Amino acid sequence: MIWEQLVLPTLTVLLALGIGAYAVAVLDRLIAGALGLSRAGSAWLAPLARGAWLLTQSANVTEAPDWQAWRLAPLLYLMLAAVGLALVPWSASLVATDLATSVVLWGSVEALATVVIFLHGWSANAPLALIGAYRYVALGLSYILISMFVLIGVALPAESLQFTQVVASQAELWNVIRQPLGLPLFLIVGLGVSFWGPLNLADSTDLAGGTASEVSGPPRLAWNLARAAMLVAFSGVAATVFLGGWLGPWLPGPLWLVLKMFAVLLALLLAGRLLPRLSPERCVTLMWVVLLPLSFVDLVWAGLEALL
Amino acid sequence: MAVSWLRRLAARAPVPVFPALGVHGDAMLRELALDPGVELVGSPRHASVLLVAGGVPPDQHAALRRVHDQVPRPFATLWWRSEPLDGLENATRIDAPSALSDALIAAHRDVMLGRRGSSPRLLPDEPPNPWEGLGDDGHGGEGMMGGVPYGRPMAMNMHDDLRDGLTLDSLTFRLGPFFPALPPGMQAEVTLQGDLVQTWAVQHAPYPLGLDAVFFDARQQPVSIAELELARARYHLYRLFHGLWLAGLESVGLHVLRLARSLTPDSRVDGLRRRLARCGFFDLTMTASAALDDEQARQIGGPAARAAGLADDLRSEDANYRRLGFTPVCQQEGNTRARWWQALAEIDQSLALARQAAARDVQTSEVGSVETPRGPWREGQRPQDASHLLDELLPGLEWGEALAAIASLDLAAVSEWPLDASVAEPRTTPPEEYRA
Amino acid sequence: MNHGIGVDIAFFLLAVLAIYSGWRVFCTDSMVRASFFLLVSFIAVGAIMLLLTAVYLGVAMFFMMAVEMMVMALFMVMFMMNPAGLNPMKMVHQERVAMAVGAVGFMVLGAMALFAEFPERPLPADLEPVAALGRELLGESMLIFESAGIVLLTTMIGVVVLSSHRGRYGGAETGSVPPGLMPGGEPAGQPAQGEDSEGGHQHHHH
Repeated sequence: MIWEQLVLPTLTVLLALGIGAYAVAVLDRLIAGALGLSRAGSAWLAPLARGAWLLTQSANVTEAPDWQAWRLAPLLYLMLAAVGLALVPWSASLVATDLATSVVLWGSVEALATVVIFLHGWSANAPLALIGAYRYVALGLSYILISMFVLIGVALPAESLQFTQVVASQAELWNVIRQPLGLPLFLIVGLGVSFWGPLNLADSTDLAGGTASEVSGPPRLAWNLARAAMLVAFSGVAATVFLGGWLGPWLPGPLWLVLKMFAVLLALLLAGRLLPRLSPERCVTLMWVVLLPLSFVDLVWAGLEALL
Repeated sequence: MAVSWLRRLAARAPVPVFPALGVHGDAMLRELALDPGVELVGSPRHASVLLVAGGVPPDQHAALRRVHDQVPRPFATLWWRSEPLDGLENATRIDAPSALSDALIAAHRDVMLGRRGSSPRLLPDEPPNPWEGLGDDGHGGEGMMGGVPYGRPMAMNMHDDLRDGLTLDSLTFRLGPFFPALPPGMQAEVTLQGDLVQTWAVQHAPYPLGLDAVFFDARQQPVSIAELELARARYHLYRLFHGLWLAGLESVGLHVLRLARSLTPDSRVDGLRRRLARCGFFDLTMTASAALDDEQARQIGGPAARAAGLADDLRSEDANYRRLGFTPVCQQEGNTRARWWQALAEIDQSLALARQAAARDVQTSEVGSVETPRGPWREGQRPQDASHLLDELLPGLEWGEALAAIASLDLAAVSEWPLDASVAEPRTTPPEEYRA
Repeated sequence: MNHGIGVDIAFFLLAVLAIYSGWRVFCTDSMVRASFFLLVSFIAVGAIMLLLTAVYLGVAMFFMMAVEMMVMALFMVMFMMNPAGLNPMKMVHQERVAMAVGAVGFMVLGAMALFAEFPERPLPADLEPVAALGRELLGESMLIFESAGIVLLTTMIGVVVLSSHRGRYGGAETGSVPPGLMPGGEPAGQPAQGEDSEGGHQHHHH
């Protein structure tokens, strides 16, 4: 009873979080190496060495920061990633939290991520970090609507807001084919929620690291870990709602999901290395004027398809 | 036991280095960017080794002390062709470029393994102004208008917003001279509203640029056009590397650096241009902002002027260049995007000229004045610093646009000392004023 | 009552968190902090709703309040004369009235909870909370409401896009004017401009 309801789900989430974040770091380094950005040492050891270095480094202090928010923000972001992973169904029965409204809960994870990232930059009491925070809010408020419409689109054929039902509804046809606009739009949301690559407006190079520019030592490790974990959580959700989750022949369900998550991660990390960072104004215009109308089209498409 | 295991692991990480660039220090930076054992970081908080590259003028020592104390302990400092600050007498000084990378790695390893103590604090760790707020956790204020913490003026908006009518707090701070997104040595006082630049006041001009020695030789005697044009293309490629790094395209930036390092007259940049256009560098990252008017363009000169449609180029006055069919390439808009198009077009043109000149072994015919990649160098009149133009150019731009504009503009004066090619041995001793 | 002791413990912890963070809203000196303390309070209430098996309402509370508090904090930073996001300020005004209203409100609600007779209606085993709530709220008009919602949102975005500074004839800050009716002609639809009729306007000479 306790094993099935408490220990197993917690263990699954923690394992996915740890292994997933490590896999993101290794994969990103391998991709960077393939693109000509080679670093010394083995890709497998480097994330661990980096983590060890951050653990030995002292945590930085700024002048009169908001201590509670500054130290809590990385942990809260990590917690949000954990909540996201807890919603991902690994198979029909292996789900940490099989909530009837898991799609909406994922939406609130995205919304709360905006709050947490803003707090991380705001609380440092430093100008560059604050700019990063403001920028992220502009981005966060833009992508959240796109995300909602895309997710409502996948909830329609399932007639449910439950991820397990959404997967079940894809038994005949995956949503990636049924709603061709959905996955590309959702991948952009994924880059936004973990502010990765072209959408890294919060922690960008022109802000010397943005919200993390004043952070060092263990809090920075927690922040980097949380970003990677959020990417993993997102890839889990994307694989669930668009790539049929655990469905697939021959292999066991969880393995299928891992493979699909890996594919999503690969796409996101490649985009992160190949595309330049968008100018914030362009980014916001693009979101509201191009991508949001496209998400309307996606929703209407899904609605018509559900009616027919 | 556990700690030493952790530290041994930490010693194996690539060294995060924060480069504080002094005079002519940027040449070393480009070498380090290609080094797999070194990772250049943008904030001193993210570094394990502080590298001071090149001499720092004495009036910037206070700023250097502050940067030094911002690096989290434990950390090491390394001084490349630069005199360590007072209080850091035991710091390592390196002059040979070949030894730098290994010295950085060794410094990180030594600090991690405890063979060498962390660099000591130079400044007292206390706020520059004593706290004068009220309340338990120091956030107290009274009445609607709030308190005056630190005796600082209230963060009221003194200016109307320049662009969209949403007035935010104005936030004033100083940036530089070691902020890596600005030209080395430049310091500015910036007032922002949100991320909109309200005022920009350059307080220290950037350090003079070290040009390749061939541009100096060209003023004395005829030199090979192929060599001159390759040096020009290399210079623009270095600038492009900085712009790409700032835009978050590090991998393409390193590709550009490798191209610059192995540049021959047969190199091509068509592929690079296509790659940049396809990934949205010109359309989505660079904006049509910070356009120069004719007067500003004339003051800066060189590629920035040609990007604004002024076809001024000293090379058109050279008979041998004309024989090679040289006409200046120009853009019309004069904005950030046009300047990057211009940079790529000039690289392309330089390579084409170098190809033709190498085939026929053509030399320059004019001496005395030379078109440097920074701008025209007429008789006795080096290209002068134009960074004060930023004060009128940047207000009204978003932070990202402003920094992209600075990266696309080449504003520093040209140094009277050439850059030692390949950073091997200094050709001349640096002038007295810069010896820190 | 068929819930375990865990639910009781969770309820009391969340209730304490909701009240504590609600109280902190009035003690802090920064509007940004106040907004996010309020958010914590709402999240605790949302979690209590989850305990009450109001699955949709609880989760919707997280979602809506997160966006709402973020927007509220930012708008206060943007529009207030002393945006307390950066400088401290006193956050409470007219304390006596506010305290009286708060006390009365608490007593009324508390009295209702204590003295009202709640009907005894156990949840059916096959309840689908989301679908049931949707039917309860929207009934037959669901499609109409959903479509109207999207149309309204589209309209709002359209209005913002049209009224932003990038107009049909260029940016507002560059003094956009409509094109002439003939090539090179005067801007169309503009009132005739006399040299002396513009006393209040500034003339720019270049």
